[in-house]
Amino acid sequence: MLDITCDFKSELLGKFAIETEYDIVTVRQTIRQFAKDAGMGIVDQTRITTAVSELFRNMYNYAGGGKVFIESGDVEGHHALIVTCIDHGPGIENLDLAMSDGYTSGMGMGYGLPGAKRLVDRFEIQSKLNEGTTVRIMKWK
Amino acid sequence: MKESFNVKNLKNRIDRIEDILASVAAGDMEARIGSDIEDDFSGIEAAIDLLINDLTDELRERAKVQKELESRLSKIQEQQKTILQQQEDLLELSSPVSKVWDNILILPVIGTLDSQRTQVMMENLLQKIVDTGCTISILDITGVPTVDTQVANHLLKTVTAARLLGAECIISGISPAIAQTIVHLGIDLSAIRTKATLQDAMIYSMKQNKRSEEVKALANISFPNENEG
Repeated sequence: MLDITCDFKSELLGKFAIETEYDIVTVRQTIRQFAKDAGMGIVDQTRITTAVSELFRNMYNYAGGGKVFIESGDVEGHHALIVTCIDHGPGIENLDLAMSDGYTSGMGMGYGLPGAKRLVDRFEIQSKLNEGTTVRIMKWK
Repeated sequence: MKESFNVKNLKNRIDRIEDILASVAAGDMEARIGSDIEDDFSGIEAAIDLLINDLTDELRERAKVQKELESRLSKIQEQQKTILQQQEDLLELSSPVSKVWDNILILPVIGTLDSQRTQVMMENLLQKIVDTGCTISILDITGVPTVDTQVANHLLKTVTAARLLGAECIISGISPAIAQTIVHLGIDLSAIRTKATLQDAMIYSMKQNKRSEEVKALANISFPNENEG
């Protein structure tokens, strides 16, 4: 199991599974609501919603689905909304390549991962071939 | 002291127990030994009858639970059917393309754009372009809350396909939040003509209309015999 270091205190807000395209929409809406409840403005709400949408689509398209954990916590003095996406898909062979603009291994535009990174305040990714991928993003409130 | 058993007719009674157990095993839950002889052996017979009673109750309970579960399952399946049906209906309903002016089509998009819906949307739009011969179509995305790379990709494809049919496609209703998000994602939409509001898009389209009419008028003067050959 892949593991991203946990150097913060957090409270679990929700745990969801992404299995269908419909799940992408409902979980995305849930996250928008969490962002709204946390007092984020419309721009930040849109940013985090779009970022998670990219991650969910990757899980759905390439890994056949995965799990999503939504937390709120304090990181580096910021109050943060934290979303962790875990899948057990094929993994990413070359992370640097996957994180570069315009590269796509499938049918996308190649802006999903790097775009999502630019939309949030902190972006962590780990991937192991044939084991899966874990991505954690944070947005300060 | 010598212990003695007071048992009558043991062979027949053991045979009866065997028969009863066999019928219970075969599914006859009504079978009981029901012996009316009272001696040292009748306790065993009574105990077997009790066990069969318990077993019957258990089985009855289980059948009841199973029935309940099955009815719930079929209910859920029915609900799922309804949901699927409604999703399909929604697909049809949610992509209306209307001609609002001479030469101008409008496709208001409301809600989320998944791949299936954009497919239906694109088909509807392209068909309408062919049917009406309109050369300007406005895609209004005011009602779309999230534009990610996939949605942007679909929009680009729709615009390109419309262009292949000779129609210009204008996208209107991009909110400031979505505009910023698109820029951060790094998507280049400069190939598409975009307007902030539907009104702007309408004004632009009507100007285009006027211009093309002027061009037509001009062409008629220069080539009066164009339609005769």
